[in-house]
Amino acid sequence: MATRTEAMAPTWKEGSVTSWLTTVDHKRIGVLYLVTSFIFFGAAGVMAMLMRIQLSHANSGFLTKGAYNEVVTMHGTAMVFLFVVPVLAGFGNYLVPLMIGARDMAFPRLNAASYWLFLLGGLVLLSSFLADQGGAQCGWTSYTPCSSEEFSPGHGQDLWILGIHLTGVSSIMGAINFIVTIHNMRAPGMTWMRIPLFTWAIEAYAVLLVLVLPTIAAAATLLLLDRQAGTTFFAPEDGGPILWQHMFWFFGHPEVYIMVLPAMGIISEVIPVFSRKPIFGYKAVAFSTIGIAFASMLVWAHHMFTVGMPSYLQAFFAATSLAVAVPTSVKIFNWLATLWRGHLIFRAPLMFALGFIGLFTMGGLTGIMLAVFPFDYQAHDSYFVVAHMHYVLFGGTVFGVFAGVYYWFPKITGRMYHERLAQTHFWLLFLGFNLAFLPQHLLGLMGMQRRIYTYTQGGIFEWYNVLSSIGALLMGVAMLVFLWNAVTSWRTGRRVGPDPWGADTLEWYATSPPAPNNFDRVPYVTSARPLRDLRLRLQERET
Amino acid sequence: MLRKLVAAVSIAVLSAFAAGSAFAAPGGIGPPGPDTPSGEAISRLYWVVLGLCAVVFVLVETALILFIIRFRRRRDTPESAEGPQIHGNTRLEIIWTAIPALLLAALAIFTFTQIPAVQAQGIEDEQHLTIRVEAHQFYWEYRYPAGEVTVNILYLPVDEPVELELTGMDVIHSWWVPALTGKMDAIPGRINSLRFVPETTGDFEGKCAELCGIQHAFMPTTVTVLDRGEFESTLASQQEEPALGKATWEGACATCHGLSGEGDVGPSIAGNGTLSNEEGLKTLLENGQNTPQFDYYMPPVGRGWPPEQLAALMAYIKSSKTLSTAPPTTTTGGGG
Repeated sequence: MATRTEAMAPTWKEGSVTSWLTTVDHKRIGVLYLVTSFIFFGAAGVMAMLMRIQLSHANSGFLTKGAYNEVVTMHGTAMVFLFVVPVLAGFGNYLVPLMIGARDMAFPRLNAASYWLFLLGGLVLLSSFLADQGGAQCGWTSYTPCSSEEFSPGHGQDLWILGIHLTGVSSIMGAINFIVTIHNMRAPGMTWMRIPLFTWAIEAYAVLLVLVLPTIAAAATLLLLDRQAGTTFFAPEDGGPILWQHMFWFFGHPEVYIMVLPAMGIISEVIPVFSRKPIFGYKAVAFSTIGIAFASMLVWAHHMFTVGMPSYLQAFFAATSLAVAVPTSVKIFNWLATLWRGHLIFRAPLMFALGFIGLFTMGGLTGIMLAVFPFDYQAHDSYFVVAHMHYVLFGGTVFGVFAGVYYWFPKITGRMYHERLAQTHFWLLFLGFNLAFLPQHLLGLMGMQRRIYTYTQGGIFEWYNVLSSIGALLMGVAMLVFLWNAVTSWRTGRRVGPDPWGADTLEWYATSPPAPNNFDRVPYVTSARPLRDLRLRLQERET
Repeated sequence: MLRKLVAAVSIAVLSAFAAGSAFAAPGGIGPPGPDTPSGEAISRLYWVVLGLCAVVFVLVETALILFIIRFRRRRDTPESAEGPQIHGNTRLEIIWTAIPALLLAALAIFTFTQIPAVQAQGIEDEQHLTIRVEAHQFYWEYRYPAGEVTVNILYLPVDEPVELELTGMDVIHSWWVPALTGKMDAIPGRINSLRFVPETTGDFEGKCAELCGIQHAFMPTTVTVLDRGEFESTLASQQEEPALGKATWEGACATCHGLSGEGDVGPSIAGNGTLSNEEGLKTLLENGQNTPQFDYYMPPVGRGWPPEQLAALMAYIKSSKTLSTAPPTTTTGGGG
């Protein structure tokens, strides 16, 4: 097989650049996704720094008012659509076929198409900055009528809509690919109760994407028609502003779980391996993933407690939002039980995973506070929400992503990262993160509303902002350490074998980096830890 | 060593926060105020849910830290040595599913019992003051029962129930006076009601909480709570033409064009002909300006004004020398 494709490949496909441009290999597409999304992460991170410089002291004039609103909008949109969702798609692309013992995704060409659409969507979204009357300025939620033609003239908002469309189509194609792959291409013996927990998480991620992305696509289409074709879907006199919010959050809330479930899946892979134990309660962790995914579709209007909903609806959405905390806490308890009596090996993946547990717990608990809707009347649209959301999405998802980056770095590159730099990265990020976002809870309760370009208060209010800005810059430094580590280790790190961690799952059965066809043979799977089974059998044979 | 140092520094920083917040008043450890019964109900709920979450937080983080210390691999244990192969425990799973579920159910029920107090339900049946709040880019217009108008300052009589009827005149805004009660959105095409009873006299600062455009950060409001007699006299004095005109200029126009029309995010308009052209000004204020032929976009700031407000504004402009004559050195900006 291999020789024949080599013979058939036209010579222009063999160059080192063109071979990446034309690849349909899930591993290469996975690497493209990971690298591209980290570049967008850098861009959106720089925007965050700009905002924190602007807010570091009262009455600052570092950014203009319009520029601040553009940056606030693009930071949120880019982090969600160009970093978190695609970076998880990158992990999924690289790992799911390897984990289930397949040779590629079900539809390799569709897979390539979804990557290139994501890249195009990202460039279109960022080009919004270049629009004639400035970029999109209404926040990542783009509420109407702020985002209507009347109040947002120019094409900045239109480019935002187009960017959302392209990345959305890309994600839906990718999600369908994941679902078909996981359902049909598992290795012999790999039943649903034996697939790795990360693959479970990607399954839930993909199903949620297919269910909710069409809603935002529809909403964005209607908004585009309102802006460009003179329709009146979101006309205020017909309740349009509320309609947009329902459509946006029907997508937007499950999106939060789309962004956090795969990170939880990464944690569920890392903790057992570095505790030298099996995951505690495999079924409980897997079913709580499904439970969270299901419940996440019933809570959207908790983003709308102040739009004047009837009390019984607010009570319903408060109750469902509190209910999500149950499967979430089940996960946390099972991770803690996995650590119990383990032999914890403190390498960077475990440290980021433990950081995830500590910080995500904080974000989850402030989420419970916000679900208590009378308190939300005070905290809504304040920095308390900004802090909560970053504890979930950064303290949770991004720490999970870094746990995954370090865990699979030797698999993807065939080389080991620099442990000391990685741990420096962890401590700088952990410290910087808490310094940046802990004071924001207090700022919110002191009355600092979201998305303001400046404030006039001095005293402790300004001091909290100073601390927050210092924390943000520290996070920037941490990222530079990470970048340096990643680049140098990729080029000159120590070479490693197929399984440097003594791991449990099938991706470690392949070579590091894996051959284009992944495996020549796949062992028959008899448990959720096929590689450990194999190791034990080899040991038995030796003795 | 490095690890210990960083840990020590983080603990020091966190305790400094805790100490700092405890000494600063209020410092952000609780919602400000409360100066109304509904604000009190919100604060009560806040402390209950904060207490519950704090207990859970301490338990989980303590377990995490204890496990990290207790179960770290010892130097004499090889990396490949496995821990006990425990796959789970159904009874434990049931326990730690049931306990959070029961706690959260109790929290939900307690929350529901507070709804009437938070929303000040029942005051619509009593005698109460109804005030219409019209939110504009970028100011608040208050319309009182007898037709009085104030801009950005809401006057209220103390100890009397009040119902605000909020609506947006252009985009969505959100009315938030933290010391009084929670926020409520002002949405175009819709009237939302917010009820409370102010119990202390004084000034309460408020703001717009929903991103509403370029001056979102500068859309302040003040609620001035007065004794009944003072309330009536102050409101009446604010209706006189010079006072209303000045308040309108400063609230509606100066936010973007500067106090003496020198220009800010909007162009300089001092001495601009439109300011003295009644028909032209009226059209501009009602429709705003959103055509590519002008460099500047302007929101429809005067949408829904009573005629006397426009008259007061024009009188104020006429009376101001800087506004009615062009400054000699600067050229007048783009449209309007």
